[in-house]
Amino acid sequence: MKKKITAMALAFVTCASLLPAFKVFADEPAAEEVTLRVCNWEEYIDLGDWDPDEETIDLDNGDILGVTPMVDDFEEWYFETYGIKVNVEYSTFGTNEDLYNMLTLGDVYDLICPSEYLNMKLMAEDALVPLSSDFFDESDENNYYIRGLSPYIRDIFDSKEINGEPWSKYMAGYMWGITGIVYNPNEITKEEASTWTLLSDPEYFRQITIKDNVRDSYFAAVGAVKKDLLTSEEFLNDPNYALNLEAEMNDTSPETIQAAQDWLQSVKNNAYSFETDSGKADMITGKVLANYQWSGDAVYTMDQADEDDYTLNFAVPVESSNIYFDGWVMLKSGINQDPRKQHAAESFINFLSRPDNVVRNMYYIGYTSVISGGDDDTIFQYLDWSYGAEDDEEDVTEYDLSYFFSEDPDSGEYVISAPTDQVDRQLSAQYPPRDIIDRTSIMVYFDNDKTDVINQMWINVRCFNLDTIPVLGKALIVIAITAAVIFIIRSKIRKKAHR
Amino acid sequence: MSKFTFSRKSLGIPYFIFLLIFVVAPLVVLFCFAFSDKDGHFTFANFANFFTDPNTLGTLFYSLAVAVVTTIVSLLIAYPLAYILSRSRLKSKAVMLLIIIAPMWINFSLRISALKEILTVIEGNLAYYPFINAVIGMTYDFLPFMILPIYNTLVKMDLSLEEAARDLGAGNSQTFLKITLPLSTPGIISGVMMVFLPAMTNYVVLDMLYNSTYIMGSLIGSYFAAYNWHGGSMIALILLAIICLFNIIAGGSSEENNQGGALL
Repeated sequence: MKKKITAMALAFVTCASLLPAFKVFADEPAAEEVTLRVCNWEEYIDLGDWDPDEETIDLDNGDILGVTPMVDDFEEWYFETYGIKVNVEYSTFGTNEDLYNMLTLGDVYDLICPSEYLNMKLMAEDALVPLSSDFFDESDENNYYIRGLSPYIRDIFDSKEINGEPWSKYMAGYMWGITGIVYNPNEITKEEASTWTLLSDPEYFRQITIKDNVRDSYFAAVGAVKKDLLTSEEFLNDPNYALNLEAEMNDTSPETIQAAQDWLQSVKNNAYSFETDSGKADMITGKVLANYQWSGDAVYTMDQADEDDYTLNFAVPVESSNIYFDGWVMLKSGINQDPRKQHAAESFINFLSRPDNVVRNMYYIGYTSVISGGDDDTIFQYLDWSYGAEDDEEDVTEYDLSYFFSEDPDSGEYVISAPTDQVDRQLSAQYPPRDIIDRTSIMVYFDNDKTDVINQMWINVRCFNLDTIPVLGKALIVIAITAAVIFIIRSKIRKKAHR
Repeated sequence: MSKFTFSRKSLGIPYFIFLLIFVVAPLVVLFCFAFSDKDGHFTFANFANFFTDPNTLGTLFYSLAVAVVTTIVSLLIAYPLAYILSRSRLKSKAVMLLIIIAPMWINFSLRISALKEILTVIEGNLAYYPFINAVIGMTYDFLPFMILPIYNTLVKMDLSLEEAARDLGAGNSQTFLKITLPLSTPGIISGVMMVFLPAMTNYVVLDMLYNSTYIMGSLIGSYFAAYNWHGGSMIALILLAIICLFNIIAGGSSEENNQGGALL
């Protein structure tokens, strides 16, 4: 017995003496570990866990399957590639405004992915760290972003400026898209759906939803009130069409704001609701016939409807459509001049831009990546895999996407033979054709004063105006409340009198 | 040197700290924001804006209308139910009560989604009846808060008082109006308080049900989303003042007879 105890004690002591050694061993990588705080949109990255039988994407370049979350894969890849442990703290936000509020309240992130207008605001506020020159080095094999960036997107990012600096200096694109209208083709024709004025069309009283979001609503309103101008031959044929269009769509003159408010009032009285998140479900369940939607969500909506054998289409208004870019930017407050952090952040962007990861994310969330793949044609193969017509398909359209995939937009190298109905469906929402792209406009960041005026306009639209409430209603409320107060006071006085 | 001695009062310390951090501190922040402008200068402008803007006042009126009607409807449903329940000879009273409270245990977003589908089937298109839907949604969500306090007062009421009234020749309705109803007032008041105030501001219910009805809570949300903390704080503060006013008017009577205050 005694021996046993001694043996145990000895074993214990041996173990204890070994502990410090273990600790040193464990500490070493920990000291090297980098923490990367990432904040992205909700449901905007592949979380893995796909069904291998149903969801494997079998391309010529190999099968693609999301097994583990993308973030975990990145941590593993980063360790394998650079020998440094990275720990990603991944969080999400719901709207650009929420994110901005979170940042002003003191939340700290290294890498965030808001829409371009918030990035423009952050650039103007000097809150961002520029991307390093290494990030743009095309000779580095691991720089998937710059090697695979679509020439079309690259051109926009290099040419659009804020305070004399191009977007591309600070922002690396992630997903992009346009705004349009998802509609039920059995009830609404394509012509009717291809205009913003559909939203105020009394023929579809209480059957259309619109976004509960000031910027999207304002864009649609400007498009609707300027419909005649924007669709006139003279305007369309002007050599400076693109510039003029952008100027018109970003018009914040008091008259335009007033006209937009009046139009949105009429939309409010006509629409089913202003939705934040319910629009997709209401569309799929048939509660509404049309829905103002972002292209990525439109793809999702149509996919879901297809599963119920319910057909929905997508149309882009003839006036103009808002093209938006969600892009990664590094915050000064988070990176804090730590080169290791910056390297990890830039590598995160690169990892997400690796063609197979691009396909995983696109398949999972339905949006469109800014990456075309460069020399690697995995992404184009994926497009063909999702949208290409079967061999026995009769009604086929040649769908040219060279503008996105090729340096030369007219090369005709990247053409998909797609079923014709796809031209009005998922394909046109995920990769709009060139004629639609030509009538898109970005929506710039308005300065603070303008933003205040437009926000107030939006609140005015949403509120109930005192003058519109019937006098009888006002009287009834006043009477009811006065009666309640009198009743309570009287019963109290009585009680006191009893005593 | 006073030495710390453990007394029953010390048990209140955690609550006191909780109060300080989560109630008092935010209120102070709210005050600061409400009475300052973008540059941090003291101003009454937000206060003045509230009472001069027809849109804010219109929304206040609409919210009041929703809240008043919701309260009346809840009261009309809850009182008879609580009365029948408390006077029934059923041994299973507790079970009956459980059935009424049980919906509260289901996540409310799920309940509202279900309600939306049901109302769509009944009405065809929800958007035709925004006001009625707002009232139905609010009533559905807050009804248990009305039933429970009333039930509590009624069940604790001394039945001999009613018997005495009958002995002295009062009829059913007279007994009810002169004895039962006055004695259950504290329950009614706390029920009204529990329903009226949330019904004015809980816009999440309406957002989920049918997002076109705009009430005070939505307005605060809009101001905050537009980075206008000052205007939003002022609205929150004025609502708080309204709540306090109701409390002061109604408060006394429920303090004297605290049977109705207990909830759950």
